[in-house]
Amino acid sequence: MIKLTAIAGAGAVMPRPEEAYGGMFEAIAEKISQGIKGTIGKEVLTPLPVKGAKFAMVIDLGLCIGCRRCSYACKLENNVPDSINPPYIMVFETRYRPGQIIGVNKPVESHINGNGLLYTKLRKDRMYMPVQCNHCDDPPCAKVCPTKATYKSPDGIVMMDYNKCIGCRYCMAACPYNARRFNWSKPEILSDKVNPLVPVRTDGVVEKCTFCVHRTRRGRTTRCVEACPNRARTFGNLNDPNSAISKLLSSERYFRLKVGLNTGPQIWYLTSKKEKPMRWYKPVPISPDIRGLKQ
Amino acid sequence: MSVLQGAIVHVRESLAGTDKKFYIYCLILIIIAFLGLGGSITALAEGHVHSNMSDMVPWGVFISGLAFFIGLSAGATMVGLLIHGFGREDYHPVGTRAILIGLMSIFAAMGCVMMDVGNPFRAMKIPFLLRNETSMFFISSTSYMGFMTLLMAELIMTIKVTLGKASSKDKKIGKLLGIIAVPYALIVVHSFTGTIFGVVKAREMWNTPLLPVHFVTSALASGFALVILVTILTSWVNRKDLVSRETYNHMGIMLCFFLIATVFLDTFDYLIISYSGTEEGLETWHLLTGRYLPTLLINMVGLYGALAIVSFRKYRTPKGLLYASSITIIAIAAYRINLISIGQLVPLYHELGEIHYVPNIHEIAPFIGLVAMLMFLYAVLTKVLPLEDKVH
Repeated sequence: MIKLTAIAGAGAVMPRPEEAYGGMFEAIAEKISQGIKGTIGKEVLTPLPVKGAKFAMVIDLGLCIGCRRCSYACKLENNVPDSINPPYIMVFETRYRPGQIIGVNKPVESHINGNGLLYTKLRKDRMYMPVQCNHCDDPPCAKVCPTKATYKSPDGIVMMDYNKCIGCRYCMAACPYNARRFNWSKPEILSDKVNPLVPVRTDGVVEKCTFCVHRTRRGRTTRCVEACPNRARTFGNLNDPNSAISKLLSSERYFRLKVGLNTGPQIWYLTSKKEKPMRWYKPVPISPDIRGLKQ
Repeated sequence: MSVLQGAIVHVRESLAGTDKKFYIYCLILIIIAFLGLGGSITALAEGHVHSNMSDMVPWGVFISGLAFFIGLSAGATMVGLLIHGFGREDYHPVGTRAILIGLMSIFAAMGCVMMDVGNPFRAMKIPFLLRNETSMFFISSTSYMGFMTLLMAELIMTIKVTLGKASSKDKKIGKLLGIIAVPYALIVVHSFTGTIFGVVKAREMWNTPLLPVHFVTSALASGFALVILVTILTSWVNRKDLVSRETYNHMGIMLCFFLIATVFLDTFDYLIISYSGTEEGLETWHLLTGRYLPTLLINMVGLYGALAIVSFRKYRTPKGLLYASSITIIAIAAYRINLISIGQLVPLYHELGEIHYVPNIHEIAPFIGLVAMLMFLYAVLTKVLPLEDKVH
């Protein structure tokens, strides 16, 4: 397809055929080479799984102020391009107060009035709920992947091998948490913003949260945990009874998303009410043009 | 003379004296295919960025196409079973055509997959270098290759028989292939295609053990309807009936049985959704009776209408069957669109709001291009291959 590259004066300047088609042929040649060789760009070595660990995360909804710093930090840390929208972590603003009965006859009406993802103002009377990959014990995405590009690691992290992904998006259809993102176009990240510890993906592959595997398997915590200004997030090893996460889960009330599906999600939400120092934080803006959603 | 030269000479001889209309028809198909497949080359180079698919609706028109075309391939196996299993010799004139339709349908389904995936060249490594035995996508795509091989072998044997060059061993093999193809197609190919969606427990509309059964019945109905449609259209083009009136009547009865099973499952599927008290069930019903009401009506009214036509002997004429088969194919295509789209449009979280998907020209054009290319291939093959109605 010939593209209009510039408009000069009264006439349109069309590119020469070799310019117009050159990029296309190069892109196809690159895809063929990726298909044959099975590697994408520069190889980045992933640390080996931590023996005996079972990584999980606790998110304290009583502390989450919905500032989306976790989402923004995750995006920068993991080389997530702007074309991926929403990023790995979505933050919902819940519209219902506890105890309020939602009309059971027409729940659809509640969807029509707007989008709980796109709020502009932090409010103390609302609850904020970050959602992301749940690193399930029995991940449906790994079961359905035809090439084992998605797999469950022994330390509990659901991983992606971008060199095996064929981009069939079966994992996206199967994930109950809407946690997977597809590169609909070639991801573009400025070279000075690329994290060298994380592989840069290409178009046509699916990607997702990896619990910052490049950090957590080296003894550090995830970037979203570091970025949270209200310490609503805790990451740790569930197999260690002395870890902060184990202590939190033994002392507080919690729930997990869609447990009825028996996927064994490993994001645990704490529900007890806490004082939120919200006025200090302004929300990080997110781009509203999310594919497929009515704004 | 090399094999290639021989093939060229044979094609030339076969096309000699062909009507001008045939070349015009082929030219139109080639232009459509060229324009459409140009779009898929753009998608290959730039990704699916121009499509309306999204992270909320990851599967679009291509996966609906996969489910639909796989279903259409069932007709070939049914005709094979009627000829070889039940000794219905009157179906012989459409035997090779039915196998060709089956092959074209499988090619269309595979083409849809290849146009849909982000990296088709890597996808070609399935099942040899990349595999996951728990994935229904892996099992299905592998089974399609097996089905394609089976139909190819069946085609070769049928041609041998038609040319009178088949030994008694060849005839036995042909008969065996025709019979094996039925359980293979129904139990492996169509059931596992249904299972691709059936195992997805995140989507309430898909997650039912009845889906594989539904895929089998609707595949039989749409596949057999396509065979009927092609038989009637070929007779109309050749101005000579391919099969007798009695065979048309039998075809109508067969379609009637397949339609009864499909209508039964469709009706109760929708009925159960309408009674669903779950949030997802209510949302599904709201979508079905709202934005997707036109496709729901096409599906249900179409199936009942087609069933009404083929239920009466007096309508089981070429004209009646032409209407019934066309309506059946359209109604089942509407069902596939409803199933694949609505299954994904029910939001996985309340807060996501309304999810939208309508395929745009960047998806529809390659799809139509693929269909045109295969129609062209079918047209040429029916000219070149020694079909029963031409030889005898």
